[in-house]
Amino acid sequence: MEMTNNLKILRAKHNLTQEDLAEKVGVTRQTIFAIEKNKYSPTLELAFKLSKLFNLPIEEIFKYNVHQE
Amino acid sequence: MNFKQFKLARIFVAMFIGATVAIASTTENTLLALAAVVIGMAFMILVRKRTKVILSDERTEKIAGTSARFTYAIHTTFIALLSLFLIINGKNTGDAFTESVGTVLSFTALLSVAIYALSYQYFNKFYGDDQ
Repeated sequence: MEMTNNLKILRAKHNLTQEDLAEKVGVTRQTIFAIEKNKYSPTLELAFKLSKLFNLPIEEIFKYNVHQE
Repeated sequence: MNFKQFKLARIFVAMFIGATVAIASTTENTLLALAAVVIGMAFMILVRKRTKVILSDERTEKIAGTSARFTYAIHTTFIALLSLFLIINGKNTGDAFTESVGTVLSFTALLSVAIYALSYQYFNKFYGDDQ
């Protein structure tokens, strides 16, 4: 997976459970779990919602690792 | 209604439909089976409306889309191959019934392809194709 994220850390910093965060951004708890485990890349809309919620730019939440061949 | 209650309701409805359809099929009562399915669907719509938690989101939609594409590919290929086998077998043995079943199945496969093509075209336009 090329995308990684700090969602778990940010969630812990804000004292939020997966369920709380899911409710705040309008997704299921499973989606938050999948994003944290890097199993699912969120849409731009969800990324912006998370960015707004944590008051951070998207690049600070999600990292895109470019593989050099 | 929370997610656990929703899951319980879903299991209850599935059991109700299963049991009623089983009774309906043993008593050969088509109306009862139909009524059970309609009541079950209506009940699930009500339960979904009363459930406050989010049951579907972008991830579940993506999963549903991938599963649908997978199901379409497997189902259509299987039906097409089966119909081909039945048509050839029916022709070789002179069994008109087998050949007819094969023909019906091949049209089912064609219908499936047609629905996929039409819905693909529609959603392609819906999501901003410029051609």
